[in-house]
Amino acid sequence: MQPDDLARTLSPKLGDLLLGVEPFEGMAGRVRFRREGALDLFRVVRDDLSFTHLSMVGGVDWVDHREVFYVAWSDSLRQYLLLSTDVPAEDPRVESASSVWPSANWHERETWELVGVSFDHHPDLRHLLTPDGYAFHPLLRSFKLHEPEELEVKSRHV
Amino acid sequence: MTTPAARTATPAPSESPAGDLALGKELPMADQPAVPFVEIETLRVKEFIPAAKEALSSLVAEQGQARVIRPVFNWAGRNSLFPLHWGLACCAIEFAAGFGARWDAERFGVVPRSSPRQADLMIVNGTVTWKVAHKLITLYEQMAEPKWVIAMGNCATGGGPFRTAYSVVPGVDKLVPVDVYIAGCPPRPEAMLDGILKLEQLIRERKE
Ligand code: SF4
Repeated sequence: MQPDDLARTLSPKLGDLLLGVEPFEGMAGRVRFRREGALDLFRVVRDDLSFTHLSMVGGVDWVDHREVFYVAWSDSLRQYLLLSTDVPAEDPRVESASSVWPSANWHERETWELVGVSFDHHPDLRHLLTPDGYAFHPLLRSFKLHEPEELEVKSRHV
Repeated sequence: MTTPAARTATPAPSESPAGDLALGKELPMADQPAVPFVEIETLRVKEFIPAAKEALSSLVAEQGQARVIRPVFNWAGRNSLFPLHWGLACCAIEFAAGFGARWDAERFGVVPRSSPRQADLMIVNGTVTWKVAHKLITLYEQMAEPKWVIAMGNCATGGGPFRTAYSVVPGVDKLVPVDVYIAGCPPRPEAMLDGILKLEQLIRERKE
């Protein structure tokens, strides 16, 4: 599937929520969308374009804004598809994809704790890799490597 | 029959008790039983024997504890160090190699046990993250006393190459008391065996 085919299917359904479809090496294409249309886009991509599996969710801190990206895989097309959206740094939130692809659950938890993008209507937005109550988002560019400071760790049985 | 000096000092019974009363004196006991000296001494000895017995037995127990029981326990303990069978990061590969045919740590009585209840030595072989820290403490607390900890490798000793990372505990001694540190990234199995022998030396000198 080529970027033109993607655009033909997506633009009538999403209208101006779709910002563009570009070629992307090794994938069917890169779909850029407004974050308001996230759930609609996910449903169309899964049901109409047959990208039934979400292989990863991640985030990038571009200092003035943050980007959330999704990589979906289609078993029938044997192709990946990259979806990406920009969120403002002051209000970093986007709708959770876990109601469309359940595998998004843990990826979104990881993206939330490392890049600080919050996911609305996520069923279980807890820390995944860092301890509970961890106060930093370590993959943000504003995060400084520090001399080791002790985090309070309590044994469950003390 | 002789009476003890204390008893003889008591005033003899008065001829006229009524007259003494009238003078306001204390009425002496008329029929005070004269306790025979032998009986008193017997009583004293009867009191002395259990006290002496107790002192002697505690002395024997102390000396026996220090000279017999403790060395025997230390000997048994240092020749059957059972480490917890687990692996945290790359150092676990060297840990595993140490129990293979080539280095054969089992000849020192070191047998990895899969349950902390059966282990008395925790070899922290790898990077400890803050996320896993409370699980490490739980495992340590589940081990039966007496227990020892070896920090194996630079990561367990002080954070190693990840010292400034956001997720790594800079030294496992922040979480549990460590007896022996082994340097290296990773330490070779010989170094691990050397650390275990150092720990055996510590246990040999253990007093309580
Ligand atoms: S000390 Fe080196 S070999 Fe051992 S766990 Fe750390 S990085 Fe890995």
